[in-house]
Amino acid sequence: MTKDNILLKLENVSKIYKMGEVEVPALKNVSVEIKKGDFVAIIGASGSGKSTMMNLIGCLDTPTSGNIFLKSKNISLLDESDLASHRGKTIGFIFQQYNLIPSISTFDNVLLPLEFQEIDDKKASERVKKILSIVGLSDKMFNLPTQLSGGQQQRVSIARSLVGDPEVILADEPTGALDSVTGKDILRILHKLWKEEGKTIILVTHDLKLAKYAHTTIELKDGEILKTYQNHNEVG
Amino acid sequence: MKFTKAFKHALNMVLHSKLRSWLTILGIIIGVAAVISIVAMGEALEQDMTSQLDDLGGDLLTLTAGASSAHSFGQGRMGNFGGSASATDEEIVLDKTDLQALKGVSDIKLMDTQISGRVDIYYVAEKGSVTVTGVDPLTWYQITTSKLKDGRMLGSADSNVIMIGGRVAESFFDKQLGINQLITIEDRLFRIVGILDDQSTSVYMPINLAYEIIDDKEKGVYDKIIIKIKDEEQIDIAMENIEQKLMIARHVTKDKLDFTLSSNQAQNDSRAEMINSLTMFLTAIAAVALLVGAVGIANTMFTSVLEKTKEIGIMKAIGARNNDILIIFLLNAGLIGLIGGILGIIFGTLLSGSLPALMGDTTGIMNRMFSADTIINLKMSVIAVSMSVFIGMGSGAIPAYQASRLKPVDALRYE
Repeated sequence: MTKDNILLKLENVSKIYKMGEVEVPALKNVSVEIKKGDFVAIIGASGSGKSTMMNLIGCLDTPTSGNIFLKSKNISLLDESDLASHRGKTIGFIFQQYNLIPSISTFDNVLLPLEFQEIDDKKASERVKKILSIVGLSDKMFNLPTQLSGGQQQRVSIARSLVGDPEVILADEPTGALDSVTGKDILRILHKLWKEEGKTIILVTHDLKLAKYAHTTIELKDGEILKTYQNHNEVG
Repeated sequence: MKFTKAFKHALNMVLHSKLRSWLTILGIIIGVAAVISIVAMGEALEQDMTSQLDDLGGDLLTLTAGASSAHSFGQGRMGNFGGSASATDEEIVLDKTDLQALKGVSDIKLMDTQISGRVDIYYVAEKGSVTVTGVDPLTWYQITTSKLKDGRMLGSADSNVIMIGGRVAESFFDKQLGINQLITIEDRLFRIVGILDDQSTSVYMPINLAYEIIDDKEKGVYDKIIIKIKDEEQIDIAMENIEQKLMIARHVTKDKLDFTLSSNQAQNDSRAEMINSLTMFLTAIAAVALLVGAVGIANTMFTSVLEKTKEIGIMKAIGARNNDILIIFLLNAGLIGLIGGILGIIFGTLLSGSLPALMGDTTGIMNRMFSADTIINLKMSVIAVSMSVFIGMGSGAIPAYQASRLKPVDALRYE
């Protein structure tokens, strides 16, 4: 594996939250490398530090110490606006609670990342329509999120994460609010994106069954990496 | 993010928080409408005064007995009710001696002697009280700025005839009055020969008749003398000359004047000053209303930022920069101001238009004032809208800045 293959690298990263006078360490001196085109599951119990790690990988937060390299660029040194640009272009987010804007349509929700990137209207519109057809929501284009089922909303969220053609899809408990059948559908979509589109998928979950869909698993405990292993018989 | 896209999201925010947005907009509407209608009222009063000045004539002077507040009463010539110019009674009057003195002033073109008083008038079975003005029929028609609506002006040979103001003719009695109809004033019948094109409740008649009708008026003694000067441009010189002549005739000195000579211009200037002060005061009150509206916008925007914290987090997570969020929220506040401003102008205009009716004055001065089509002008509208947008954005600036500085990880966690 060459150095060029490393998409994300955490180097001695620590994150400490201050709760008044008390300092709570969420991540302790973590170092990890995520390869381009990998399907990684970050697992761990509640309080293990997986959400903190996801926030740092997703450029949503900055570390207290250590460095984070995204495509060889040290993002821990960037200011908020540069981080925003990086996020928009490189990372697509899928959240447990979908996090769609409730007052705008499915189409506009998916269009939003392209508006922030100032993509040409016509090109953006075509891209949104294409992505919505991939996730099977062409007929729900002008529905508001509240008019969709949980599974449909999560598919909108996936469409939104894909529309900017990011290299990394960061999914935080994507099936947490869904029933098991719909949850499996969502994971199959992610698996397909990894296998067929070559996307790097980072799945954050507490559910060990879901981790079986991933190729690499990083297990966290008390803010430290307990073990990293590869699953050669992933479910798909 | 492109400006048009930011505008779309800002508009969407206004449309999707209907009640709160509209309540805030209502605050701005009230403020702008108050400012608009008060400024319109001020302008209308000014317009009315200007037109009154034109109507009254800038070349007219009014001479009355007694010193104005600027002068103390002096030892001037006293008159009594007997009308003698050299009388020694306590009443200070204007009489024929003054008229004679004024005839020697070359700046004067015409003079009209007048007396006036309240009298009862009767028509059919109705009774009313009006002001009767006795005028010199030889000169009044040349001096007065009142326009004739119907009939003719008073003539030198007239007897038992009157002219009436427009309001007396139209709405004073249940039945309208017309030319050649007879009305009773103090038990004497008078024929209407002319109706004036105004909204006054005045009645005009030859001064000789007025002496017989109005109580306590002595022949040869005048309430006032209206003087028309030859050259309006030379009004100050003419006033000086007239004053000099009268001081000699009335044996008074400058600091002990017993008469008042005033120009319509001066009267209007002092009224304008008063109206300006009143308008300023009312505008200050309206500005407070607008300030309350601005505080309302700030409050709404702070609430909106709190309410939309999670959405801000989502937008930041998918690539929104601080500036994108700042512009969206600033435009949202500006839009509230813009909508409030536009509706405020509309309501302000309607309020200005309906003020006469609301005040129960459909024919009087209020109606005249607000009938002017220039009251709500384009300039004022542009200023009001710009001001509203500025107030909106100004009030929304701090909340918008706060929104833009939110850390995405904190905003996403917000419930």
